Amino acid sequence: MTALQITGVSKAYGPDSTVLNGLDLTVPGGALAAVLGPSGCGKTTLLRIIAGFLRADSGTITVAGRTLTAPGLNLPPESRSIGMVPQEGALFPHLSVARNVAFGLSGTDRAKRSSRSEEMLELVGLGGYGDRMPHELSGGQQQRVALARALAPKPALVLLDEPFNALDSSLRAGVRADVRAALRATGATAVLVTHDQQEALSTADLVAVVRNGKVAQCGTPQEVYQHPADPWVARFVGDAVLLPGTAANGTATTALGRLPLARPAGDSRTGTVLLRPEQLQLTEAATAVRGTVTEVSFYGHDAMVTVEVDGLTNPVEIRVAGPVAVRPGQRTGINVTGEATLHS
Amino acid sequence: MRRPLVRRLTALVAAALLLPALAGCGNDEDDAGLVIYSGRNEKLVKPLLDELEKAVGTTVAVRYGDSAELTAQILEEGDKTKAGLFFSQDAGALGALSTKGRLQKLPQASLDQVDAAFRGGAGDWVGTSGRVRVLAYNPGKVTKVPDSVHELIKPEWKGKIGYVPTNASFQAFVTGMRVLEGDEATRTWLKGLKANDPKVYENNLKVLDAVGEGEVSLGLVNHYYWYEQVAEKGEDKVGAKIHFLPGGDPGALVNAAGVGILKGSDQAPVAQKAVDFLLSKKAQTYFADDTKEYPLAAGVTSTVKDLPPLDSLDAPKIDLGKLESLQETLKMLQDAGMV
Amino acid sequence: MPTKDPVVRTDPPASPAGAPASAGRLSTGRRAPAVLVVPATVAAVFALLPLGYLAVRSLERGPGFAWSVVADERTAQLLGRSLGLAAVVVTACLFLGVSLAWLTVRTSLPGARVWSVLVTMPLAVPSYVAAFAWLSAFPELAGFPGAALALTLVSFPYVYLPVTAALRGTDPAQEEVSRSLGLGPLRTFLRVTLPQIRPAAAGGAVLVALYVLSDFGAVSLMRYDTFTRGIYTSYRASFDRTPAAALSVVLVVMTVALVAAEARTRGRAGHARTGTGTARPAVPTPLGRWRVPALAWCSAVTAVAVVIPLGTLGYWLAVGNSATWDPAGLLDIAATTLGIAAAGAALTTLLALPVGVIAARHRGRTAHLLEQSAYAGHALPGITVALSLVFFAVRYAEPLYQELPLLVCAYAVLFLPVAVAATRSAVLQAPPVLEDVARSLGRSPLRVLREVTVPLAAPGVAAGAALTFVVCMKELPATLLLRPTGMDTLATRLWTETGTGSFAAAAPYAATLILLAAVPSYLLGRHRT
Repeated sequence: MTALQITGVSKAYGPDSTVLNGLDLTVPGGALAAVLGPSGCGKTTLLRIIAGFLRADSGTITVAGRTLTAPGLNLPPESRSIGMVPQEGALFPHLSVARNVAFGLSGTDRAKRSSRSEEMLELVGLGGYGDRMPHELSGGQQQRVALARALAPKPALVLLDEPFNALDSSLRAGVRADVRAALRATGATAVLVTHDQQEALSTADLVAVVRNGKVAQCGTPQEVYQHPADPWVARFVGDAVLLPGTAANGTATTALGRLPLARPAGDSRTGTVLLRPEQLQLTEAATAVRGTVTEVSFYGHDAMVTVEVDGLTNPVEIRVAGPVAVRPGQRTGINVTGEATLHS
Repeated sequence: MRRPLVRRLTALVAAALLLPALAGCGNDEDDAGLVIYSGRNEKLVKPLLDELEKAVGTTVAVRYGDSAELTAQILEEGDKTKAGLFFSQDAGALGALSTKGRLQKLPQASLDQVDAAFRGGAGDWVGTSGRVRVLAYNPGKVTKVPDSVHELIKPEWKGKIGYVPTNASFQAFVTGMRVLEGDEATRTWLKGLKANDPKVYENNLKVLDAVGEGEVSLGLVNHYYWYEQVAEKGEDKVGAKIHFLPGGDPGALVNAAGVGILKGSDQAPVAQKAVDFLLSKKAQTYFADDTKEYPLAAGVTSTVKDLPPLDSLDAPKIDLGKLESLQETLKMLQDAGMV
Repeated sequence: MPTKDPVVRTDPPASPAGAPASAGRLSTGRRAPAVLVVPATVAAVFALLPLGYLAVRSLERGPGFAWSVVADERTAQLLGRSLGLAAVVVTACLFLGVSLAWLTVRTSLPGARVWSVLVTMPLAVPSYVAAFAWLSAFPELAGFPGAALALTLVSFPYVYLPVTAALRGTDPAQEEVSRSLGLGPLRTFLRVTLPQIRPAAAGGAVLVALYVLSDFGAVSLMRYDTFTRGIYTSYRASFDRTPAAALSVVLVVMTVALVAAEARTRGRAGHARTGTGTARPAVPTPLGRWRVPALAWCSAVTAVAVVIPLGTLGYWLAVGNSATWDPAGLLDIAATTLGIAAAGAALTTLLALPVGVIAARHRGRTAHLLEQSAYAGHALPGITVALSLVFFAVRYAEPLYQELPLLVCAYAVLFLPVAVAATRSAVLQAPPVLEDVARSLGRSPLRVLREVTVPLAAPGVAAGAALTFVVCMKELPATLLLRPTGMDTLATRLWTETGTGSFAAAAPYAATLILLAAVPSYLLGRHRT
């Protein structure tokens, strides 16, 4: 079932400042989709259009089969049944945690509302915090209350606007996991807006990379990472090794040897061949392509080794798990595993 | 600190919103048989108006204000005015209402009680009390008291005169001078006075004090201020003396407070009774004894010590209704740099 | 329908500073919802009543006559005098207000809390009482110096209060950055702090300027001829409402120009506003060897603005005797004054609420027009506003004429801008994202207003209500004309007593008025601390 369908949404603030340019996006029910893009790509504008705070110049938006935005139609935010988790949570400072969560609950049955509120707080791991005031909570707790508040009225869609930005990196992973678990538990469809590719890849079921007001690529995190639509997307979603190559019989000939292509390309096509640093391995095999180590950056769980390959103008990066045996200045061999993609 | 304040103020605001609804119910004006707009100060006339209420036999509500502002209010109200009677501090305001046709003709019997000089030309207002412009002087400093304001522009009085240029009575006197002697002569006189560097005071009492203390030698004031001071402190304690200017000098202008009945009011019969009361012996004696003014109704003489009878004064002959034209006077005062 | 909007345009792509900040963003778009526009329009129509009256009166003898009044050489002269006085008073108020705000909020001034209350106290002093106090102590001050002095000393809190709030709202980190970039304290103040408090200071300055333009009490006591005094004189001297109305129109034009100029200041500086997210309070700037001069400055201001008027009153109280005292009557009148001032403040605040919210949250012609309307009549003298209400009431609402509700309405017309300014800045302090969240949780715009915007802005709105309460208590000319017959307030009583020169008898009323007005002033001074 399709939960969110965005078709041809455009928005300009003036003749020279087009923000969204016929953007399309489809999110299946129950999925967490990340809208990933650099600052100013229009992702926040998109979010505000979905929520109904901005009016699109053209295009349609349907959520769970209900059309919210279409030519001549623009439902106000309160009629859309879309939950929002803004940056820094934006809890109402004048209301207790429980009343924040119950804010969107309709109906006059006080007991029902408070039990739903408590239920949602339990879900985000904050059972018993209902009587606190927002300023008595830590940043991560505030963020989880904001999610509980958004989920409480069982919205058709939840929008998360860079919700983890303000958190310490040590907290971020935990809150992220909690949020994902809570979303899963309620089966809610959600759209997460972020400029952090790690966050998008690790949290979302679906990643839509937005560039210049359009979706440049949409797919599972794996697809987007391993088979990026173009070099720009490749570099935006992770570290990339780019080298010139020519296609022939499902392989590409490059300075690193003949590499199998994920998607067959026409013979004799030349272009940029893309690999991920973890596809490259240091080897002592005599047949391997050789180069000189210029730099080693150690990250703990892995390390990045920069190698100037004979016959290549730009150095390549190689991700190495565990201890690193090479030092700058040393000669080494390079081996490639997995498939590459070719972009013209 | 934030929350209690909010709560307190919210409670206050909520209570306040209810208040006008409650307070609007009881208003003595609604059941008053007569509403008087009084340009005369409450402190001066309240005891008299309390007596008036007894005399007319119905509830009387009084709205105090500035004569000129009340005049503007009455003009704005037009036929819908709440007032039955307008009790003005000076003749000019009554003249203005008369000109705009807002006053009813008074019965000849009422008008006849007062000298023609102190009633409206159209017979629609009548003076109730008079006040005279006088020259206050310090007997220790002045050997020969001037007999005319025209002498005040002579160099010998340079820096020795005290006056209140913003005072309505002073301005009425200047207007009177314009009526009597023409604008050109008045302008010359004002310039001459200004050139003599007179000292400006806030009010007539301060002028009297300054004359008494010798700070200045002469002062332009209304007569009753001096009599009030004498009544309060005793004559030997008041350093200043006053001089009534003879020969119809403009400086001896007699101005009047007065009343008129408003058109469009259904209170006219009661208002008429009120007018009669104000011209009665009882009221006229009040003006003489308590506010130290001149009674205007025939047959009443002042009991105030040494107050010369009004008809013995050689006051200038002038139609008080014309004192309405203050605008030009003010322009002159402004041009002379006095106000 | 896509409309171009300069404010929203600051939010879109390619902003070099990084992700678009949500703090300055407008909440629900630029067009204000009907639930706000309708009541705001009611408020605006209210505020515009005097203008309707002026149009009728000034043109009743044809535009030629009105023009001859306006074109008179004297008109230009008076206008020059009024503007000159306003310029001097505004400058002085800015200097006093900003310096005191900075000292009490941002420095290690000993007793800062006490000072912040003390320097708010002059709000409680009516301009005519201040003028009288100064004049009786120093008669030679009469004229321009006295008028400027008295008006400055009663109106500088209009600048002090908003600037204090703005100083608390700014991020001290910015000043630290400036210091670390090599700017000294003074240059940091001028280049970083001042631009941030400029909208607040400008808003206060406009209120001061309009107050000076409309004031009659102080200038008439000080015998300084201003435009407003000219209008009064016109009523008094010629009993003619037409020239007075024509002159009043000039005041309205001046007001509109002033408010428009202020709006431009605000428009440019508005985006620089950072969110309210700064949790960290500023570290007070140590005063060091400036401690003594700073204390001397605060003491001097307090002395001239509070001690001198109170001292004069004290003298007159001492001179007076039991005969001049009427404690029962005084109590009665004080209760009446409190009641109608509270009602006035309540109605004014209520009417100001939608206008203030629109002014803070929405842009576009309607929003602009609504806010301008609230201010348009603010420089008009009380008598003109009162006469306009007489005009409308006897025609269209006769049962209300000379009843309390009409007087309360007059207060609302007179003081709407005071409450609008407070509401606007209070709403600006509340992050718009909270309103977005409430909308997304299914709240209609009206309920968002009631459940989120108003509670969040409540402290600021309440402060505005307190300020309005104080100015209602002090109001004289409109009260004189519109009060129910026989009703007295402290201000009208004061007028009666001073009318016969009985200052000793007037002193208890003046003292009570100041004392009562000091309570909300005190709360205002403390509230920001």
